[in-house]
Amino acid sequence: MDDFEKYIKENKDLFNDQKADKQKIWHNIESNLDNTKVIYLWNLSGLKIAATILILVGVFSIAGLFITSEFNQSDQNEVVHQELKDIDIYYKNLVSFQVQLVNNHPKLKPENKKEFLSFMDELDKDYEILKQEMTKNLNNEYILEAIVNNYKKRIELIENLLEQINDSKKSTDNESYIL
Amino acid sequence: METNILHTHKDLVEKSKSGDRKSQYQLYELYVDAMYNISFRMLGTKEDAEDIIQDSFAEAFKKLKTFRYESTFGSWLKRIVINKSINHLKLKKIPIAPLEQYPYTVSDEKSEPLQTTDIDKVKKGIQILPNGYRQIINLYLIEGYDHIEISEILGITISTSKSQYHRAKKKLIEIVNTL
Repeated sequence: MDDFEKYIKENKDLFNDQKADKQKIWHNIESNLDNTKVIYLWNLSGLKIAATILILVGVFSIAGLFITSEFNQSDQNEVVHQELKDIDIYYKNLVSFQVQLVNNHPKLKPENKKEFLSFMDELDKDYEILKQEMTKNLNNEYILEAIVNNYKKRIELIENLLEQINDSKKSTDNESYIL
Repeated sequence: METNILHTHKDLVEKSKSGDRKSQYQLYELYVDAMYNISFRMLGTKEDAEDIIQDSFAEAFKKLKTFRYESTFGSWLKRIVINKSINHLKLKKIPIAPLEQYPYTVSDEKSEPLQTTDIDKVKKGIQILPNGYRQIINLYLIEGYDHIEISEILGITISTSKSQYHRAKKKLIEIVNTL
């Protein structure tokens, strides 16, 4: 440290020759701090409000989720019911129409008719049992599957019968043709 | 005695941390003049210095909770004031560090001896110094920061701080001797 530096460091206090306007500056500091306090409190209350809203939204959405899911479930159930009903009606009509056709078919042998109808009755009985099971437990996939299979069997049966009829038709046609 | 002062301040700092306005004012009163002088020396105008002091105290009280007594409260606060003052100069695009290309020839000659013992002339000389030189003289000679600290504050290298300080000092003595 040279003389100059020493001289200045020794007289450092003399450099503090300015006087601050204490009251004016403090007033501004205080208002600044108060503002931030207000902002802080505002933020805090804002935060509280935000939190409350969030909780409310959460509760409502959870409740809503439950309600809508219930609604959805019942909606779904209804939809399923409706669909099942539609399918049921459609197949029933189809089957009964086919059965009617078979019954009224003049070219079918009575034994064949009888056999066919007894099969159909059997499937009808099965179907009734399945339907009862289904009302107990709609969500049971096996029952639903069994019902579908029941219908499939009936349709298959009818198709087979129709094939037989057509065959016999063909054969008679052929015969007639030969004849 | 120093420990007593430290303890008294600690008490004030602790109370201020919890937002006690009276303690905050007491702390403010203890430090405002010193801080105002620091800022005034760096910025050169009353208005700018007042603005910076307001901001600095407000910020200090707001982030007082982060003050962990790693330094004295005074030096912690002083650093806030210095940083804010430097930022203010930067915003105003006033050079905070001496420009390398500043037209001043450096020589290894020793500085001229100071011919006066009038501290007012030195003060005046510092005011006349180019902006970049003034900051480094203020920080080193009056605020008592070392070159490591100055390099951090001004964002320059330690060697730049050293060399620029020597140039600034030489220039200052030249100016003071002509006054």
